[in-house]
Amino acid sequence: MTSIPLEYYLIVAAALFLVGTVGFLLRRNLLVLLMSIELMLNSVNLTLVAYNRVHTESHAGQIFTFFVIAIAAAEAAVGLAIVLAFFRVRKTVRSDEADLLRN
Amino acid sequence: MKTGLYLSISPLLVVALGGALLMLAEAFSHHREEHESRSAGPSSELALGTAITLFTGAIFAAAVWFVGPEKLDGSQDLAPWLIIDRFTLFFAFTICVGGGLASLLAGGYLPEHRIDRGEFYPLLTFSSVGAIILAAAGDVLTLFLGLEIMSLGVYALTGFRRGSARSTEASMKYFLLGSFAAALLLYGAALIYGATGHTDLAGIRAALVAGNLNYGLVLIAVTLMIVGLAFKISAVPFHMWTPDAYEGAPTPATSFMAVVVKSAAFATMLRVLLVAFGQPELSSWGAGWPPIIATLAVLTMTVANLIAGRQESVKRMLAYSSIAHAGYILVGVTTTMRLHEDGQASVMFYLLAYTVSTIGAFGALILCGSRGAEAVSYEDLSGLGKRHPAVALVFSLFLLSLAGVPPTAGFFGKLYIVKGAIGAGLYPLSVILLLNSVLGAYYYLRVLVFMYMREPAPGAPFARPMKSGYVTSALVLAAVAVVALGLFPTTSLEVAVRAALAP
Amino acid sequence: MATYVPLLLLFLVGAVITGALFTLSSILGPKNPTPEKMMPYECGSESTGGRFVKPSVKFYLTAILFVVFDIEVVLMYPWAIQFRTLGWGGMATMGSFVSLLVVALIYVWKKGALEWET
Repeated sequence: MTSIPLEYYLIVAAALFLVGTVGFLLRRNLLVLLMSIELMLNSVNLTLVAYNRVHTESHAGQIFTFFVIAIAAAEAAVGLAIVLAFFRVRKTVRSDEADLLRN
Repeated sequence: MKTGLYLSISPLLVVALGGALLMLAEAFSHHREEHESRSAGPSSELALGTAITLFTGAIFAAAVWFVGPEKLDGSQDLAPWLIIDRFTLFFAFTICVGGGLASLLAGGYLPEHRIDRGEFYPLLTFSSVGAIILAAAGDVLTLFLGLEIMSLGVYALTGFRRGSARSTEASMKYFLLGSFAAALLLYGAALIYGATGHTDLAGIRAALVAGNLNYGLVLIAVTLMIVGLAFKISAVPFHMWTPDAYEGAPTPATSFMAVVVKSAAFATMLRVLLVAFGQPELSSWGAGWPPIIATLAVLTMTVANLIAGRQESVKRMLAYSSIAHAGYILVGVTTTMRLHEDGQASVMFYLLAYTVSTIGAFGALILCGSRGAEAVSYEDLSGLGKRHPAVALVFSLFLLSLAGVPPTAGFFGKLYIVKGAIGAGLYPLSVILLLNSVLGAYYYLRVLVFMYMREPAPGAPFARPMKSGYVTSALVLAAVAVVALGLFPTTSLEVAVRAALAP
Repeated sequence: MATYVPLLLLFLVGAVITGALFTLSSILGPKNPTPEKMMPYECGSESTGGRFVKPSVKFYLTAILFVVFDIEVVLMYPWAIQFRTLGWGGMATMGSFVSLLVVALIYVWKKGALEWET
């Protein structure tokens, strides 16, 4: 049985990371921005797990992924809470309407 | 039982357990935020508890320092995840002092401004735990963990005034850019793991020295990690969130962000650059990170000082000034490429001086205002020197220290950094730093001019100072520290030199 | 590539059978619509309200708490797999981790975040 080469995983992960980055920079909906950040973290997870296949002496990559998953959940919780607080005050979830603090 | 191990991580344990206890105490206290009378809120006990917890952490850090972490059996058991050396202890001390002073400021500020909810204190304590983990991290896993523990607490602290549009907006901007930066840093860490097979900083260095790697990958990884850290220390051009977050956050949270987050981020930046990427091929003027850091330093100092001079809000001015200070410290980071110990020591001394001066400046700003009559703009402060000479006097002391006027702590901080830069042969950088200090003096002295030489326009609202034992005691502690560091700078510098990381 | 052919065949057969069943039943089945039959079915009782209901913010709080506590379990898997190797040291470590979670749970409980009717 032939296994999928490492590069494939890395390219998919890099593409996901790029999609997340571009989404973060271009979109204006706060929830989409949150999802973009989650996408970036998940692409990192994929990268770590993929690299763990070549660095088999320890399972650093796999263990790292567990921590990233747990932290991403905490981050999503805090982020959603902040977006909710923002929505309650401003009645919008668009980032370009957050313009009170300016020079 | 490995007593040595527990003793060596005692600063961290004290703060973490204290945070858990404070959280329980807060949950079981029967206060409600609707209480209108000032003494009804939970701040009265919790602020004191938090300050005691964090100052105890600082005392433990100092105690382990005097015993010597290398003498404690088992202090290296947690390496490479947590490295307990004098470098860590120095930063743990700075972080605990900064956090303790910030919690004292909160003890006065929150009841005064009717946002007296107890969550503030556990959040602040857990953020300090994250900051200590970050300073001690010798592995990118714990680095990321500490960074997120610290940041998540600070995001919540920034948006603590839930009903205020400015506060929630500040916290949202900070959260989005902060987690974006964390994701970039993490991707860099994943790539460096892929290239070297190690997540611990020493292992990464060993693999880089051994060679035979994909250097393109390493380059991308180093860049991503530096960008991620530059966001956290708010270096230009990654500073966009800083003024907004600092302005919108409640002032005690602002002071916490300005000192604790910055100290921890610089600690980890030094450790990553010097331990993981410290070999000569990556840390010389011709190649590696020093040119990048130097460019960031010049940009940060100059841009921040130019914008700070144009601000009308004193709080926003202090936010830009904290960006400018990050620029000065980055000069110190650059000098570590040639002056290993002295460069680090100048950074550490500067951070300690900056911590007490900045907490003091924000605290004085808190003290200058009261509910409904906050001190925001320069105009609000006019005539303060005549109406309330004591408040104006301490405010002036902290501003002079930030401006770098002798014999305050801030002066010696700048002196050591400039000395280091000249010693390392970085003449252009030291000249730019000095020019920027002159530029910076303008907006600090402008506050003094308003306090002592202007009268409020007739009928214009002016700030009325509040009364709070907590804020006053924090200011007294900070003022004593500023003067003491200014009078006996060599002692603390020697301490900082001993704390430097081994090459 | 050849290894995936059976899988593709399976998808194809599945799609054909499902599509055929739906088409046949709509062609062959008798149709006798009455107003009662066209009503949305709601457990036999009279249906109330429109199609779109805005979920209460209470769901959001519960969901967030669930996600946070749920994901922490992920850190227990490696420990569970290495349970015997890690021994009492691992037990103590996981114990301290779980006790921190319990502190958080007590906090959430006392703060009233688990109360549905407030």
